[in-house]
Amino acid sequence: MSRRLAPLASWEFGVLVFMALLYALGTGINPDFFGNADALLAVLRDAARFGIMAVGMTYVIVNRDLDLSVGSTVGLTATVFSMTFAPVGQDGPLWLAVLLTLAVGLAVGLVNGVLVTKLKVPAFIATLTMLLIGRGFVLALTSGRAIGYAGKAEGYGFFWLGENNALGLNNQILIFLLVALLGGVVLARTRWGYQTYATGGNLQAAGFAGIDTDRVRIRAFVISSLCATLAGLLNVAQDKGVTSQYGLGAELIVIAAVIVGGTSILGGRGRVLGSCLGAVLIVLIDKVLREGVPVTRTMEIGGQLYEVQAMAQLPPGAVPAFLGLILLISVLIEPWLIRSGLIRRLFARLRGAPTPPLTLDSVAIEAPRTGGTRLAASEVNARGWQRLMAYRETAAVGIMLVLWAVGMYLRPDFWGNLDNTFNLLLAFTEIGIMAVGMAYVIGNGDIDLSVGSVLALSGATAAFLMKSLDTAPWLAALIGLGAGTVAGIINGLLVTTARLPAFIATLGMFYMARGVAAWLTAGRQLNQFPESYNLLGRKLIHSLESWGMAPVENSWLHDLVSALSTQTLILAVLALVFGVILWRSPLGYRVKATGGNRRAAEYAGINTDRVRFASLLLSALCASLAGLVYIAFFRSFNPVAGQLRELDVIAAVIIGGGSLFGGYGSVLGALAGAAVITLIRAILSLQVISSSGESFVMPQHWVNVCIGLVLISAVLMDIWLRQEGLLARLRRRPAPATPPPALETAP
Amino acid sequence: MNESVAPIVEMRAICKSFGAIQALDNVDFYLMPREILGLVGDNSAGKSTLMKILSGAYQKDSGEILMGGREVHFRSPQESRAAGVEMIYQDFALCGNLDVAANMFLGRWPTRFGLVDRGRMEREARAVLDRLKVDVNSVRQRVESLSGGRQQSVAIARAISFDPKVVIFDEPTANLSVPATRRLLETMLELKQQGVAQIIISHRLQDIFEVGDRVMVLKRGRHVGERWVAETDEHEILGLIVQGEDPALAG
Repeated sequence: MSRRLAPLASWEFGVLVFMALLYALGTGINPDFFGNADALLAVLRDAARFGIMAVGMTYVIVNRDLDLSVGSTVGLTATVFSMTFAPVGQDGPLWLAVLLTLAVGLAVGLVNGVLVTKLKVPAFIATLTMLLIGRGFVLALTSGRAIGYAGKAEGYGFFWLGENNALGLNNQILIFLLVALLGGVVLARTRWGYQTYATGGNLQAAGFAGIDTDRVRIRAFVISSLCATLAGLLNVAQDKGVTSQYGLGAELIVIAAVIVGGTSILGGRGRVLGSCLGAVLIVLIDKVLREGVPVTRTMEIGGQLYEVQAMAQLPPGAVPAFLGLILLISVLIEPWLIRSGLIRRLFARLRGAPTPPLTLDSVAIEAPRTGGTRLAASEVNARGWQRLMAYRETAAVGIMLVLWAVGMYLRPDFWGNLDNTFNLLLAFTEIGIMAVGMAYVIGNGDIDLSVGSVLALSGATAAFLMKSLDTAPWLAALIGLGAGTVAGIINGLLVTTARLPAFIATLGMFYMARGVAAWLTAGRQLNQFPESYNLLGRKLIHSLESWGMAPVENSWLHDLVSALSTQTLILAVLALVFGVILWRSPLGYRVKATGGNRRAAEYAGINTDRVRFASLLLSALCASLAGLVYIAFFRSFNPVAGQLRELDVIAAVIIGGGSLFGGYGSVLGALAGAAVITLIRAILSLQVISSSGESFVMPQHWVNVCIGLVLISAVLMDIWLRQEGLLARLRRRPAPATPPPALETAP
Repeated sequence: MNESVAPIVEMRAICKSFGAIQALDNVDFYLMPREILGLVGDNSAGKSTLMKILSGAYQKDSGEILMGGREVHFRSPQESRAAGVEMIYQDFALCGNLDVAANMFLGRWPTRFGLVDRGRMEREARAVLDRLKVDVNSVRQRVESLSGGRQQSVAIARAISFDPKVVIFDEPTANLSVPATRRLLETMLELKQQGVAQIIISHRLQDIFEVGDRVMVLKRGRHVGERWVAETDEHEILGLIVQGEDPALAG
């Protein structure tokens, strides 16, 4: 390719061309909106905030990290500003509101950064937890209401930031350009930028060269978080108010924008310009997807044909399905299309020139495994009590018992009775079923972030079939399971065949499955299924009665099946079968060998791809089973079914002895961990009556915040107490300054 | 060495390139039964590449491999293992989270009624360790809790349990303490007693001089010379490694 043409072949140019095509498509679909010159400015205005966040995210991803918390940071900062400034809130001065907002943004970035670097928590877990916590705060602070202050805002110049200026251009676009220019120059031309590329390209080498990589990575998280704060401020400047929905799902658009813009998910490569163009492109796609297509339907009413003008439109919840797909495709384009030389081969073939070699060997988009765990030999030599303590499951069982006692102490009148116990068991079932599959996935050293969404997908599929198509319950349930299976197969293929890291593949599925679920149900709540289906969520006795197999009354068997829920039985069978398989079968050993040292497992002839595929499939199957039980139990499908449940499930497995670095975990532990999570939720939701007779119930939002804290503590304990043996190191003085080097090295 | 004995492994005119880099250029190689061969050379000399071709981890571009006089094609480590070639990797390729017995039977755990038969696995693991005269506290101990030398013993025991004809050691002493190195060299002599041919890829000439029979030198993908350990010294071998010219061949 000649030098003059080289810029045309750049990634950014491709994005521009794609953008122009898309705009033309949008104009074709709805000329009324896209044909308008103002439309471009409107797209740019909305893209501005995402663009600003994309600038910050570029730093994080170039560092080979990921920040899933930007969306909730937008919401959190917008809320903090509004609650400080609004007359219905604190009615404080503007400067205080801005200062507090910036402080919150800074704090979020610092916490993310310190968790990921100093405390070694994987970035996606740390920032996903931050997402949950931030969302909890937003809901708790706003109580879910919209807050407006257009009146008070009149006298302040600050809100001019969100307005159009004299040129007819929105000021947000100018701020975006300014941020992009600053961010671009810093990344491309300054030492900060060079340090970022070095850290992302080879963390170890950068560290050896004297770069304080922890500081570089914390800095990127702070930049990302401050960019999100700026976006939050612009958002309130524009709307002069806030709702609890602000920034919801923004992280998907931002991450997709950065990846589409040519930044490698593996770090070390990327440009701010690409991210900015990517942001405009993704926002444009978002707009096109949300655009209605004018259609003319012919209807027959009373023998007369009428033409009805209507707008065919995707339900709003369905858009993430496409954005998730775009995220995955764009992650795959770079290694599989560009670096493998497929395109060069295609061009050569077209010209009839000799085809350059296919370099698929060099496609390695999986991060090399770090870790290698260290433990004292205490397990073998320990006896009695110590032996018990050496089991990784012991902690979870212990905490479970303590929590149950705490509940008993708080509400002795209520906690111990049968109703509460069975309610606990029911709440336990949902997490428990998913934890069974997750134990396998985490045992493999992978992660499945999509279980909550797959739960929703299978529930929505079954609900939709029964409701809209009058499908027989058993067939609806089967197809619901089938939908979950498809999700699991896609996850598995992405991880094993396309070689994506599991967290990014299942993050895509996280958005896609829920998007498809929302599409199927059109965002509505579906209910009134055939009662024969709902038996799945009832007591066992109801099923037996409907089959005419109910035992005689007043027998012990009758009492048992009256007390036991069908779903509890499902969980028990599932846990027993897959518990034994993981514990003692060759498949279970293969899972743990793959998680412990994948290369060693492969040398030993284990097909690790097949093992990982099977685990991801099992996880999706468990999640879809949980979805079927969910809609039967509640007799309805709710669009928020299973939302962010993945965090509960991951926390359950980690508490139960699993390790995010793979190689450990058992179903028994996962169930004990699920019980811990269930009990924490139950205790936090308890109505506590103090001695003075006042009662107190913690709002659900705060419960979510607490669950986030529990998850992060569990991960920290796993890393620092189990992996690094912090306690043992402290006990064994003088402690070595650094842990011994990991044995695992690249071949 | 008796001329009438046929080599157990023979590699003829092996070539291998990675893109533009010619890693191996017409390399000939042979290994006699019961022999301990030291394979030495600078970095990027092609030692590991040659051995990875023998162990099936890499595929040769051209040339042929013969074992016991018959041509073989190894497309994976499993195929070379079936033919009796075992490789012990520098990092031992063990699963730290599993115990000693489970590691020795990695991927081929004995089963009973569909579940892993722990009793049989532990008995057999213990038997192999005893045969090797390796002392591991308990076969139920997790590998990550063992020292580097013990981990290597587990890796060797695992290799021996396949009853191999040839064992390749990749930089075996790189991660070991001095006493562990001593134990390793003793183990190698023990294996030689049991009739196993061994190849050591190493930078440390003194190890090879202690237990080896023959040294082969590679430089930049070419076979530049070989010596009987009994008839040479470290100085001469170092000269070969650095200069890559064999006066014996040139002259």
